[in-house]
Amino acid sequence: MSHWFNYQASLKILIFGLLLGSGLPALFAIAVRVGSAGAGVQGSDGAAVAHKNPALAAISYALYALTLAAVVVGVLYVAREFIGAHTGLYILGAKPA
Amino acid sequence: MNLQLFLLIIVVITALAFDFTNGFHDTGNAMATSIASGALKPKQAVGLSAVLNLGGAFLSTAVAGTIAKDLVNGHLVTLQLVFAGLVGGIVWNLLTWLLGIPSSSSHALVGGIVGAMIAAAGAHGVIWTGVVSRVLIPALVSVVLAGVVGAVGTWLVYRINRGVPEERSETAFRRGQIFSASLVSLAHGTNDAQKTMGVIFLALISYGAVSRTQALPPFWVILACACAMALGTYTGGWRIIRTMGKGLVEIHSPQGMAAESSSAVIILLSAQFGYALSTTQVVTGSVLGSGVGKPGAEVRWGVAGRMATAWLITLPAAGLVGAITYWVVHGIGGFAGSIVGFGLLVATATVIYLRSRKTKVDHNNVNAEWKGDLTAGLDEDGKPGLAGSPFDNGEASAAAPHAQAKKAGTA
Repeated sequence: MSHWFNYQASLKILIFGLLLGSGLPALFAIAVRVGSAGAGVQGSDGAAVAHKNPALAAISYALYALTLAAVVVGVLYVAREFIGAHTGLYILGAKPA
Repeated sequence: MNLQLFLLIIVVITALAFDFTNGFHDTGNAMATSIASGALKPKQAVGLSAVLNLGGAFLSTAVAGTIAKDLVNGHLVTLQLVFAGLVGGIVWNLLTWLLGIPSSSSHALVGGIVGAMIAAAGAHGVIWTGVVSRVLIPALVSVVLAGVVGAVGTWLVYRINRGVPEERSETAFRRGQIFSASLVSLAHGTNDAQKTMGVIFLALISYGAVSRTQALPPFWVILACACAMALGTYTGGWRIIRTMGKGLVEIHSPQGMAAESSSAVIILLSAQFGYALSTTQVVTGSVLGSGVGKPGAEVRWGVAGRMATAWLITLPAAGLVGAITYWVVHGIGGFAGSIVGFGLLVATATVIYLRSRKTKVDHNNVNAEWKGDLTAGLDEDGKPGLAGSPFDNGEASAAAPHAQAKKAGTA
């Protein structure tokens, strides 16, 4: 059966896919929500209905930074062989040719 | 000039032409959801995608393995056969582009080469277990895995963002989409440019211009492939982008970002775990998932069904074109055979291009409201007609007066 269908790799892709592929947008969504809660709400008369909360805004930025870091790691991962071949730094599991 | 050198030159030109169709056929994979959600303007999106594809092509270093290696008997490969296979891939790519169907460029190429091999050497020249286990089953697995991940991601995003003002979340996710789309483009460039480089490399080896032990193709091959693909990407396969971004699901930026993240992660993971999944199928699965996962969203299963049908016939159809081309080129033989084959390819491409001009889909109307099929509601000039303005996601009734006013204003 495994000759036709690589179920082990498929299962791994599914599990890590759910963690990263669904998890990262969810993390981003948390950042949006926390940021929204921290930004406060102004009523139509300009008075604050909900006050700004700098702590929540800071957490929101930290979460954004975390998702951005994940994207940077993704790019480095794509380029890892290239980086290794040109700089000698073999990162993220790259192997010398 | 001897015949082999002449054939080699024809193969290289045809391979670059295939690379070009590959580029514009697959722009939609990376950019369709960003364009549909309004995260990027159509021209910006294809420009960004072209640059990243160009970069991605240079990043790929492991080119020695070609996609045909596990699928056909390498000893039976000739330059005529490679040419016929490429023609099969190009013709099928152009036809599906005309119909706006995002079929897989790698399947088209595999189909063409397998068909040419059957014509050349009979069915025993094909490694059938390889075709099933490396091409057919992964295609199905891609859709299912990406669909699940895309659906879970979309559901989570909407669940978490319940109560956040819609305007705020749309803006945030539009920015996020620029990053997720870029990652898909880069991953795609790395994967797909390799295919053509592999084909040219194979042709050079069989001609004897490059030694069998060399690990990397000559620099001009990398440069030419990267440029052909980037140029194709920039041309923008608007018809396919339209089906991907508007036809399957109405996409808003949170869905778009979830779909793109799912695509990028699954493409990269499949490389990591050594199970090559097809980019087109991964992206389609993710987009479908983003429709299933959003509460109240509509998935046009009819469009999805037509796409699935096209996927099923991609291999045999491209194979048939490949086989016919082989018979023509080999049957006539010599210089005349290759010239006739190349001439037929140019003629077919021209006819398909002229057909596409009848109802043009371009960066102006790519986002016009979906009215049942690719070109319904678009007028001959390629304007959105009364169907809706390019960036209107609203209902027809609300969009029509606005579009009319806009049209009157520009007339």
